[in-house]
Amino acid sequence: MERGGDRGGFGRGFGRGDRGGRGRGDRGGRGRGGRRGGGRREDEQKWVPVTKLGRLVKEGKIVSLEQIYLHSLPVKEHQIVETILGPQLKDEVMKIMPVQKQTRAGQRTRFKAFVVVGDGNGHVGLGVKCSKEVATAIRGAIILAKLSVVPVRRGYWGNKIGKPHTVPCKVTGKCGSVTVRMVPAPRGAGIVAARVPKKVLQFAGIEDVFTSSRGSTKTLGNFVKATFDCLMKTYAFLTPDLWIETRFAKSPFQEYTDLLAKPTKAILDDVERVDA
Amino acid sequence: MESDLRSLRITSIEKEEEDEEREDFGKEGEQEDDEDDEEEEDEVEVTLGFAEKPKNPCLLLRHLFPSKAGGVPVKKLSFFYSLFIFFILRIVLSSYISLQALFQFQHTQAWLDPVDLPAEKSFTCGFCREPLQFLLQIYAPISDKEYTFHRMLYVFMCPSMSCLLKDQHEQWKRTVENPCRSVKIFRCQLPRSNPFYSSEPPKRNGTDIPTITGAPLCCWCGSWKGDKVCGSCKNARYCSAKHQSLHWRLGHKIECSKILNLSETSASCIVNAKAKVRATKKYASNSLWPEYEIIIEEECTFDSEIPEDNRSITSLAFTSNRIDETYQLLSDKFEADTDKKVWASFQERIAKAPEQVLRYCQDPAAKPLWPLTIGRPSKEDIPRCNYCKGPLCYEFQIMPQLLFYFGVKNDPDSLDWGTIVAYTCLASCDASISYKEEFAWVQLYPTATVA
Repeated sequence: MERGGDRGGFGRGFGRGDRGGRGRGDRGGRGRGGRRGGGRREDEQKWVPVTKLGRLVKEGKIVSLEQIYLHSLPVKEHQIVETILGPQLKDEVMKIMPVQKQTRAGQRTRFKAFVVVGDGNGHVGLGVKCSKEVATAIRGAIILAKLSVVPVRRGYWGNKIGKPHTVPCKVTGKCGSVTVRMVPAPRGAGIVAARVPKKVLQFAGIEDVFTSSRGSTKTLGNFVKATFDCLMKTYAFLTPDLWIETRFAKSPFQEYTDLLAKPTKAILDDVERVDA
Repeated sequence: MESDLRSLRITSIEKEEEDEEREDFGKEGEQEDDEDDEEEEDEVEVTLGFAEKPKNPCLLLRHLFPSKAGGVPVKKLSFFYSLFIFFILRIVLSSYISLQALFQFQHTQAWLDPVDLPAEKSFTCGFCREPLQFLLQIYAPISDKEYTFHRMLYVFMCPSMSCLLKDQHEQWKRTVENPCRSVKIFRCQLPRSNPFYSSEPPKRNGTDIPTITGAPLCCWCGSWKGDKVCGSCKNARYCSAKHQSLHWRLGHKIECSKILNLSETSASCIVNAKAKVRATKKYASNSLWPEYEIIIEEECTFDSEIPEDNRSITSLAFTSNRIDETYQLLSDKFEADTDKKVWASFQERIAKAPEQVLRYCQDPAAKPLWPLTIGRPSKEDIPRCNYCKGPLCYEFQIMPQLLFYFGVKNDPDSLDWGTIVAYTCLASCDASISYKEEFAWVQLYPTATVA
């Protein structure tokens, strides 16, 4: 079984020494080739993190996305978001749009997929991917959506009873010619919006809101991005309860133990509590 | 008629040979042109390495030419095996002959060429002057040349992140003659008939032993030549003063006196005692990375066929056939900029086999898989071979998954890299010294900005 001589080297080596894995017969047992049909589930469990943040998440030292948002750490692996948000994260394909490019030999058609992900409790993400095949585009869009998950701030319309249910203030977002304006609504109003932004707002976890849009809302890409932009602005708006000075804490890369200490969590909790 | 038949046979054999040749050429032809005009990279065959706990520790000894990561260059577990044997034999019989055989076994060295090990100047980190720590070794023979029948590549690295950051500056310098780096790659090659190993392949059934013993190694790190001896017991060997002081503090102080006491008894017992001491201690360092064997697989075995079921979905999607250029312009914000695209394609490539720790390709046209756009070397940044002044070419790269397997902590000062790419001499020159240094390029992730 050992091939010396013309192959160079003895047995298992890199380079041209080892085609077909025959030399590895006795170590068999890993079934790597057989995992081809295994499916996605196994791959997710077998995620090997590539970045430091990924390793921290896999160890379990970071349990909420807020810890990542607080320090503006770039999320480069979509499995991070999957691990943290878990099964609550749902995704939906908004539209598959064929786009074409003119070539000498006719038209080259590609498919553009718009995907929205969200957990229904303050986190949404939007992903757009163009690819030659629909399935690839959808898969790529889901991954991009998970990478772009942002927090959504919710507040009250009037009395601060129960959990926050609407946007904290009037916010507006714009993309292209489409502007979307969101206005706080009382409980029970429901999401008063067109079909497209309604989906996004449901994923965000907003229960009641009045919306108003302007521009060419027929262009779904811009419409969806405008609502997403609007939701991103909810945390960018400075309201009076954020007038207190923030106490800066150390990033998870600097010192893990400090992250679990009271001050950091208190800041986020304060915001929620003041709203309540 | 018979001549016709014979001629028929001849032509058919010829045809078979032609087919075989074509097939072989197809297998060995490492470049397939991709018909897709988007992806311009040629498909070269990439071999992946996966880290796995070794099933049988004695299969990682040097004369079996292993590829491994972490631990020491091959030596650590041989001690366990020898320890096991030692105790068994002690129970059964205790003759000098058996002990002699054990001595040979215990002295098995890690290095391919066990005699001419790298000098102290080359095995210390250029910045902190500490001896480098063993990262991995791979067995990568080249079949073309006779003197590269056996070929091992060793990668050593300083475990400190601050040294790695300083190293980044060094690797961009082009014209330094002897650069001080914190990542070093050594290449060693031997022809088939050499004074250290037999010319026949090892049988791999537990009966192989190396033919010659080499230089003793440092008993703290197990990696480098131990030419400095402990002053009191004259037994323990070290590669540098730093390791000697570390070992002294962390246990040798007590052991040293024990050995001294034992050596006062009769001479025959010295052999026993020394053997016992050597057998009972493993490599004393507690900061070595855990040991894995590198399993080799081809990347193409992971290309899975995902059935593309376009038809049902495209019927829904084909509502209009307009050329939507406006979308393409406006969607750039959400799709990806170049950096994200590079990262996305990197992720896609490793998603085929997410546990890979090493990518290897011997094809001179191969390009490494870069995770980021920044920090890539241009052609001029890669220097020439130190020994033959010939060009260097990409041979293999180490992936960051290895950090996960090593269990590297995630403090600010702990190691983190994007990828480490090894450029080795294209001609694999055979110069004077045994262990030749090759060029390593480290691409780090940009440090995250703190809020």
